Amino acid sequence: MKPSTVKIRKMPSRFKHQVPKYKVTRSDACINCGTCARACPYGVHERVEGHNKVKPPIDYKCIGFECQGKDFYCVAKCPRKALSLSLNPMYATLGDFRWTADMITGTWIMAETGYPPQRTDLEYNVGNSGGGFDKLRFKFPAHPPQVDKSEISTAIPLNRRNDGRANVVISTPVYGGGMSFGSVSLPTMVSKARNATIWNTFTCTGEGGYPEMLQPYDDHVITQIATGLFGVREETIQRVKIIEFKYAQGAKPGLGGHLLGEKNTESVAKMREAVKGYPLFSPFPFHSVYSIEDHKKHIDWVKEMNPNALVSVKVSTPNDVDMVAVGSYYAGAHIIHIDGGYGGTGAAPDIAKKNIAMPIEYAITKVHNFLKDEGARDAMTLIASGGIRTAHDLAKAICLGADGVVIGTAELVSLECVRCGNCESGRGCARGIASTDSELADLFDEDWATQRLVNMYHAWNVQLVEILQRFGMRSVKELVGRTDLLEHIDYSHETEFAHNG
Amino acid sequence: MPKKYHIHPKITPLDLDYVFKFKIVRGENCINCGKCTKVCIYEAHKRRKDDPRKMADPNTVVCRNCFRCIQECPRGALEKSLDKDFTNIGGAFWKPDMLISLWKQAEDGKVPVSGAGYRGPFTGTGFDSMWTDMSEIVRPTRDGIHGREYISTSVDLGRKLNHLTFDADGQLASTVPDTVDLPIPILFDTPADNLSSNVKEALVKAAAEISTCIIMPAADITPRVEKYRDNIIPCLAPTEIDTHKAVLKKARLVSIEYSDAVLNDFPGLKKKIKKLSDALTIIRIPAMNDVEGIVAKLAHSGAEIIHIVADYRGQELNGSAGSDRRLLKDIIRAVHLRLVEDRIRDEITLIASGGIAMAEHVPKAMLCGADLTAIDIPLMIALGARIYEEPEKLLIFPEGLGKIPLPIVTQRIVNLMGAWHSQILEMMGAMGIREARRLRGESGRAIFFEEIDKDTFGKLFKKREAVSV
Repeated sequence: MKPSTVKIRKMPSRFKHQVPKYKVTRSDACINCGTCARACPYGVHERVEGHNKVKPPIDYKCIGFECQGKDFYCVAKCPRKALSLSLNPMYATLGDFRWTADMITGTWIMAETGYPPQRTDLEYNVGNSGGGFDKLRFKFPAHPPQVDKSEISTAIPLNRRNDGRANVVISTPVYGGGMSFGSVSLPTMVSKARNATIWNTFTCTGEGGYPEMLQPYDDHVITQIATGLFGVREETIQRVKIIEFKYAQGAKPGLGGHLLGEKNTESVAKMREAVKGYPLFSPFPFHSVYSIEDHKKHIDWVKEMNPNALVSVKVSTPNDVDMVAVGSYYAGAHIIHIDGGYGGTGAAPDIAKKNIAMPIEYAITKVHNFLKDEGARDAMTLIASGGIRTAHDLAKAICLGADGVVIGTAELVSLECVRCGNCESGRGCARGIASTDSELADLFDEDWATQRLVNMYHAWNVQLVEILQRFGMRSVKELVGRTDLLEHIDYSHETEFAHNG
Repeated sequence: MPKKYHIHPKITPLDLDYVFKFKIVRGENCINCGKCTKVCIYEAHKRRKDDPRKMADPNTVVCRNCFRCIQECPRGALEKSLDKDFTNIGGAFWKPDMLISLWKQAEDGKVPVSGAGYRGPFTGTGFDSMWTDMSEIVRPTRDGIHGREYISTSVDLGRKLNHLTFDADGQLASTVPDTVDLPIPILFDTPADNLSSNVKEALVKAAAEISTCIIMPAADITPRVEKYRDNIIPCLAPTEIDTHKAVLKKARLVSIEYSDAVLNDFPGLKKKIKKLSDALTIIRIPAMNDVEGIVAKLAHSGAEIIHIVADYRGQELNGSAGSDRRLLKDIIRAVHLRLVEDRIRDEITLIASGGIAMAEHVPKAMLCGADLTAIDIPLMIALGARIYEEPEKLLIFPEGLGKIPLPIVTQRIVNLMGAWHSQILEMMGAMGIREARRLRGESGRAIFFEEIDKDTFGKLFKKREAVSV
């Protein structure tokens, strides 16, 4: 499958208004002459023929202060000086340090158009967290080898063990994170699976069982076996190409899963073979695993059940994550999936999200180097997640040593999640994404959501290809572990003196 | 098996206004269509009771920032912004979100849980530059933190022996000194000197209810709280010992303000106290820049318990008001490592306080080397106090707090501690540490930003130049 064959269609927001960065105010001095509407190429101002009045400004289409130098700047053009432009105070209520308002807006634009935004006033590639990915920059060479975009491959193999199992190749080095039925709505799950099929990549069921609606997309679904074993059945294990053992989740490492009672609705309870309305806990960790040897038994067990499937092991990022990764290699896993501490979740104690386990940036380097030293790096696929927000994060993660990444929050943002963080409360998500409430889970249809995801994946792929082209590379596989192509704002311009003698 | 330690929270709303984060304003162009009431699942928008044809003002206390009303109002008549009171409260250390979280924990006693990933900066100063470790496959708790396996948060205060001696008959020859056991590594410190009487009493009652102690000025110990004397640590200057004989006599622990006299003659002071009471002595030392030297000297002269007090933002007390002042994390580490170097660390107990603002700070302080912590301001935030850092420290109590019934005030503090206790268990459970005493100085189970960043990115990106010596 070539990414260039994916069909992009414009898929606007499901809401009447957006969250605008700027505020365009029209005062009473306006004489409805329509000059602004004729001038603005972005459609901020509209004067319908036959109406007396110009419509209220559509703020979110405004490109802001960068317009000041343009000859169509409405504020300057207005003969009555009735227009003014300012920052919208509402914008400060959107986003946070990790996912800035610009990043959310940028992701929405990608999901709508299929391409990265062309605006220069949105910093959508890096966040404002002041560390990790946000301090890393690419060092593009001035004269890279000429490579045509059509020659660049973003595909990566997931089975590198040569063990006769399925040779699974994904067309873009990104797949969808595990979100269980219960933590997200069925339309969300189905659209993720449809998108994975279109992109020839994967999505993951999370730990709440395998809804029948996903059956048509079996070849692109990873089924997760988590510590609660909710909804895990032999036949679901036999249907898929990849089985994922979830030991821990980056946002709540060492705490196990927790689906709050209110989100355990009738359909969820049925799927999980549980009682409606009761909170469901997944213990931490597997009660049958006390050692790497036990872990190997687990892997052998599913390999026996499905002789063709690949095994992925998802772990969080403790100090000894490198040892765990190597243990997984010896236990026979194909994919080691490390989930960093700043990753997303449907619900986790704030204290865990902030404090427990290390951010993914450190863990990637640690694991990559350790596997290399053990001579096992080429036999393992290293997948990173937990704080991959943008295509730039993806490329940086690969430079640090990952083969590919898993994303979760970015997918939901493209479905118009605002990251308000109330996924777990009461009826769940006010935006209809992370809710199984009968009213809320019905806020969008799968066609809309699938196309939004397809568009976002496309925009990421466009950016990734662009980065590869600027490095003069023909495949994303060439980028793995190339830390020499990165620089770090804090260190790269400092020199350390090593004393010899 | 002994009964498990458990704090019993009870949902206890406090009928006093507190800060909230968002403000929604309904514009003039609202057409009262009611779309916002339909879309808001938190009930921020309602029609007016007296005139259902019109919309009431938005109740933004309940707003959870979902943007539904903003995006679906047919007229775009709603505007949201950050509330001014919210942005003005607190400061660089006491962040507004922190205050709202403490307020809520005092209300329901639950571990704050939210959806989506972490929203804050990558790292920060002090305790914010640490992550705690977890156990992936080996060492984890087997059946959850509230399972059959007991995670103990007990600590003991007092002088310990570094070894035992036996006589020729194999009989114990050492005298083992007394210790005071607390089921939770948190003491209360008196947060301010202008507390209303119901708050003072509630602090004592709450301390008693969760079986910890409160450090309070000896002069404040009134007959009303006398019956809780086991949970009160009188605090006094070494010169006031005779004045407060009566109080001292019944105390289990006494806190003595540090002075040169204490430093130069600890044994003399101890003897003086011993004459009056069996209380163990805590020496309360302001966190100065030479504190580790003082603590080491005291430890060698027989001190039992040392309480290091940083300022309300967890900073060193002297030195210029700038970045060169150490933060509590580094103060504790310095003191702890100094005592380790002197091979006397195990013999004394260290209490750390000042800027312990959130549950996570307790285990982090212990990982840095404290045996336990003491808290003050969070207890007040639980009761609706607002703190401002600029232009100077200001703690404002809500109006009407003095009239709130004692049981409610007490329960709020108990709730806060219940939430903290559960959070400490969460962190310990993740680490696979079942015993709070084992947290002390266990820095290998912490991840320090400076170290890991240098180790990872420093190694990769710093240009190395070899210099031959």
